[in-house]
Amino acid sequence: MNRRDLLAGLFWLAISLFVVVQSVKSDLGSLHSPGPGFLPFWSAVVLGTLSIILVVTTSLRKKWEGKLVDLWRGLDWLRVIWVLLSLFMYPILLPITGYLITTFMLIGFLLFIGVRSKVWIDVASALAITVISYVIFSVLLDVKLPKGIFGL
Amino acid sequence: MDILHNLFYGFTVALQPMNLLFCFFGTVLGTLIGVLPGIGPIGTISMLLPATFHMSPTSAIIMLAGIYYGAMYGGSTTSILVNIPGEAASVVTCLDGYEMAKRGRAGAALGIAAFGSFIAGTLGIVGLMIFAAPLARFALRFGSPEYFGLLLLGLTLVTYLSRGSIVKALMMGAFGLILSCVGLDSIQASPRMTFDIMELWDGVGLVPVAMGLFGISEVLMNIEKTESTDILKTKIKSFFPNLSDWMRSIWPIVRGTVLGFFLGILPGGNPVIASFLSYGLEKRISKHPEEFGKGAIEGVAGPESANNSATSGGFIPLFTLGIPSNITMALMFGALLIHGMRPGPFLVKDHADLFWGVISSMYIGNVMLLILNLPLIPLWVQVLKVPYRILFPLILLFCIVGSYSLNNSTFDVMVMMVFGLLGYLFKKFEFEAAPLILAFVLGPMFETNLRQSLLLSKGSFLIFVNRPISAVFIGVSFILFITALLPNFKKAKEKYESSVQDD
Repeated sequence: MNRRDLLAGLFWLAISLFVVVQSVKSDLGSLHSPGPGFLPFWSAVVLGTLSIILVVTTSLRKKWEGKLVDLWRGLDWLRVIWVLLSLFMYPILLPITGYLITTFMLIGFLLFIGVRSKVWIDVASALAITVISYVIFSVLLDVKLPKGIFGL
Repeated sequence: MDILHNLFYGFTVALQPMNLLFCFFGTVLGTLIGVLPGIGPIGTISMLLPATFHMSPTSAIIMLAGIYYGAMYGGSTTSILVNIPGEAASVVTCLDGYEMAKRGRAGAALGIAAFGSFIAGTLGIVGLMIFAAPLARFALRFGSPEYFGLLLLGLTLVTYLSRGSIVKALMMGAFGLILSCVGLDSIQASPRMTFDIMELWDGVGLVPVAMGLFGISEVLMNIEKTESTDILKTKIKSFFPNLSDWMRSIWPIVRGTVLGFFLGILPGGNPVIASFLSYGLEKRISKHPEEFGKGAIEGVAGPESANNSATSGGFIPLFTLGIPSNITMALMFGALLIHGMRPGPFLVKDHADLFWGVISSMYIGNVMLLILNLPLIPLWVQVLKVPYRILFPLILLFCIVGSYSLNNSTFDVMVMMVFGLLGYLFKKFEFEAAPLILAFVLGPMFETNLRQSLLLSKGSFLIFVNRPISAVFIGVSFILFITALLPNFKKAKEKYESSVQDD
């Protein structure tokens, strides 16, 4: 066991307490007639109990092993953050700027941070991928992609 | 005669042009993603679930099954040529396959992997055909308590799906059940944990959750690495193993097939375990165990056969009892539900076209793979040269459009991103997503049957023990649970004893 297990155990304990409260609010019912909150309540109780087991067994160990920072040591974690940020921005921007512009920006950005090549190659590749994906999804598969405020 | 009649009917379904096309597409795509490290059948099936909405249920399952067993074929190529398993089930093939390639015997290794896979895949389908229908007929006797017992047995698999901590696996299972409760309750139709978000009234979708946990998280794990792939420069002379190779391989193929098939049926049994056990078995009974790890052809033939027959075996509990034995089967389960079909005994009875059509398509798919795989190996080698940094934007784009197309809503995209981030953190913190998905998929049926049984018995849990079939399921679940816990107790005891000795 290690520090990250302690953190994870506390996180899941918090989640289980939250679900217990929500389940009680949704009506637990009785054994004769279980209500909508019955299964989530007991599942949360199990989750909470297991979280406590994880926290206790981790805390009982004298020797601490595995720091949190070790999980990302020697890895390109900055790239993960950039990708995550761009991915979370995508659904926010999609209804505003539309599929073509948003996808072009996303793919261009992902190529830029992934491939160390010339900018014009990234731009041209992003443009090609956007157009081809639009043809596949919108024209051939009839997916209704958002056009955004520019109507694109 | 009945089986032959049904099989003939299945071929009339599988040979319809659209089904044939999707079988071809599935097997080729499966081989491709099997070849490519960093993307596997679970991620691909998750990504393609939305695309199946426009297909008939039979075509959809034919294609998804093709991806699954196609990936088993493709995975061996990278193991042998690059020493990187394209698939987890091909990890063990690296040991002797790559060694054979280094000695200029790449062709024989690739050939025996393909032929072994073909023989095992075909024999596995014969087993599926023989066992599935009688088992489904038996399951027609089930009521709510029996289904509850069966689903409890299915949920016990959570403990077997885990490769690490059993406590963490159970936690993931419990969270999966909680997640399956979000939305309108199936009996009283009252909203639970919806937080006034309209989109949550229908619950959290399987597709965005699976895409996030397996597709997005896998990409995030891969892009933080900075390693490159070296492809072995060797001339592949002939893919046909010689007579001596065949003599050495034929029994490992047969043993691998039988072992893999029965492991595929068992709870938590999957192609990965099957391939490892087959390798261990071959090494143990070999007259020359010292050759293993240095290019023994038995070390390629056995595991490659085992992982293919395990894929066929896995369909038995899914089709007959409605229980997914591994994570890929859980996704197939989801795909059937999306198409309005409930996996289980009624599937074989009410949708014989789907059941027999899929089985027959697997025969056809295996032939396609054998014909395609060997001549296309030079092409797959070229594919391996595509850098991941170019591939990952395309995978992400496919995930985004796939989840958006479910309801033409950015909400599903956001759900996918959240589960992508969660999946990434799960991997970092050594929590496995497979138990979560299994519990999430089985959750709604588990809840309905539990509540219906308790309503029937007026709150008495004895209903589950008084009925023989459900009592057997609950007994087996208990035994499985205990046997899964035992190794953990042993480990904990050993750790405790060693720490006492240290002190």
